[in-house]
Amino acid sequence: MVGDLGGEGASNVNVWSAPTGTAGPPGAGAQPVFTTSDVDELDRLAGVREVVPRGSAPLSAVRSGDDTVALQQATTYGRPYFASEDLRDGRAFRQGANETVLNPTAAALFEENVSVGDTLTLTLEDGRQAEVRVVGILDTSGAQDPFEGFGEGPRVYLPADPYYERVVTAPGSGERERAYPAAFVIADGPEAVDGVRERTLDYLRDESDAASLLAPNAEFVAQTNEELLDQVRDILDTLTAFVTGVAVISLVVGAIGIANIMLVSVTERTREIGIMKAVGASDRDVLGLFLVEAVVLGVVGALFGTLVGFGAGYLGTRFVGLPYVVPWEWAVVAVVVGVLVGVVAGLYPAWNAARTDPIDALRYE
Amino acid sequence: MTAVPEASVESAVSLQAVRKRYDRGEPVFALDGVTLDLPRGSYTAVMGPSGSGKSTLMNLVGLLDTPTDGRVVVDGRDVATLSGADRTALRGEAVGFVFQTFNLMPRLTALDNVALPMVFAGVARANREARATALLGGVGLGDRLDHLPNELSGGQRQRVAIARALANDPTILLADEPTGNLDSKTSADVLALFDELNAEGNTVLLVTHERDVAEHAERIVHILDGRLERVEELDTVSHI
Repeated sequence: MVGDLGGEGASNVNVWSAPTGTAGPPGAGAQPVFTTSDVDELDRLAGVREVVPRGSAPLSAVRSGDDTVALQQATTYGRPYFASEDLRDGRAFRQGANETVLNPTAAALFEENVSVGDTLTLTLEDGRQAEVRVVGILDTSGAQDPFEGFGEGPRVYLPADPYYERVVTAPGSGERERAYPAAFVIADGPEAVDGVRERTLDYLRDESDAASLLAPNAEFVAQTNEELLDQVRDILDTLTAFVTGVAVISLVVGAIGIANIMLVSVTERTREIGIMKAVGASDRDVLGLFLVEAVVLGVVGALFGTLVGFGAGYLGTRFVGLPYVVPWEWAVVAVVVGVLVGVVAGLYPAWNAARTDPIDALRYE
Repeated sequence: MTAVPEASVESAVSLQAVRKRYDRGEPVFALDGVTLDLPRGSYTAVMGPSGSGKSTLMNLVGLLDTPTDGRVVVDGRDVATLSGADRTALRGEAVGFVFQTFNLMPRLTALDNVALPMVFAGVARANREARATALLGGVGLGDRLDHLPNELSGGQRQRVAIARALANDPTILLADEPTGNLDSKTSADVLALFDELNAEGNTVLLVTHERDVAEHAERIVHILDGRLERVEELDTVSHI
């Protein structure tokens, strides 16, 4: 999951505005405050290669031929935000053109799969209709940017010009300009990203249109993908710690279970222990026998648990739509822990068995 | 302390002025100065009422217990000088137990039951299976090797137990009421088997409270209140 966010995004700074003091996911509570002039100014900052403003266009439906499906919104980018290797087919859209790029899930929404060259009719939120030509199909249906979250829903991408229609009177120029809720400031390279982040925030806070448009109880957030990764890692770490806690409790319960079964087993076989001792079994022989039994219990449990874990993991990842990874090293750890739990839990019962007095044991009914 | 006679080299087991004390509120002597010599190849029966000390005598001869006083010498080795582990090892190789309730391992076949003492004695698998097969053949169970104890009759079980007792070629066969759970016909068979084994040179110590069973032995040791009451020499051919 964390792998989805890394890679070439290392030079990107994700910028949005959020209500002060909130720590939601990227874009939560974002207001459309970044004007076209702001985007141009940010583009001129040192170390910045490109700025891509992002917004969404509210839709009600998309039609292909006679086939209409409901769709709430499309993602609009002020500049092409796809690399050519992200596209399975076709090319990125051009600004100012009636063009669109779909992800595979969106292309498969219709009875006949949509392909490059087809025309779609968009029904906007207010009922107006617009015809767009499909110029590209993405390679995967995963999130294209951090604001989309995880999951593989159908997504339609459009050029901000002409489809992003949120406009304000820019305080700087006095003109009507598009105002975006978010933007990606792309630095020249991963090493420049922290400086770019600082300069972006400095610019936004001091002289930008966004500073004037920002609500009083809101602030700018500029997060590198690395920071975003850290956040995700934090959440995953917490989750992992929680699961580990549950696992440790299960281990303790399992160990007590093994110890209990072994104690019962030792009691049940008191007479057999007596027989074995009478025919020459040493304390160590008896100890070994019961320890081996406990270890076998532990290992069988660990193997069974590992198989169940593989199965549940497979179903779980299938259900959530994440890639299925088999953590072999953890399977080995599970078996080793199974042996250890077997030894620890079996030690006391086995010791009990070993010091059984054969005279009493033979008399035991 | 009274002088204790030296054990004969020929003795399989020798008890010299053995006392065994239990502390049950007050000290009780289960055995109170017993001297008894079991020559190799001898056949001895022990008789006495319950509580007379028969079981304690068995446990001492069988190396399951150690005396409070006196000496127990098994196969020429003084039990008092042995560590617990050595005593266990000696028990495995020098003593063959036959119990009233057979005491076979319920989940092991006849063959595996007979092979069990050899497992603990460190005999290789092929050797112990060959010997166990031969021993079971010797007690007339050559066709019952793979049967579990619960698939065998009482008499057959006791014969498996006898074969097991012989597994490590013991110095002494200890039989504790071996016919106590058998009917008269199978009792006779089992006792005939003991006679045969004794005739082959095995030393047998048989504990019983039945006179006719005890009469299979060469001599009967009567025990009462932890002391030897009398030793009765029998005409060894009388029971035939």
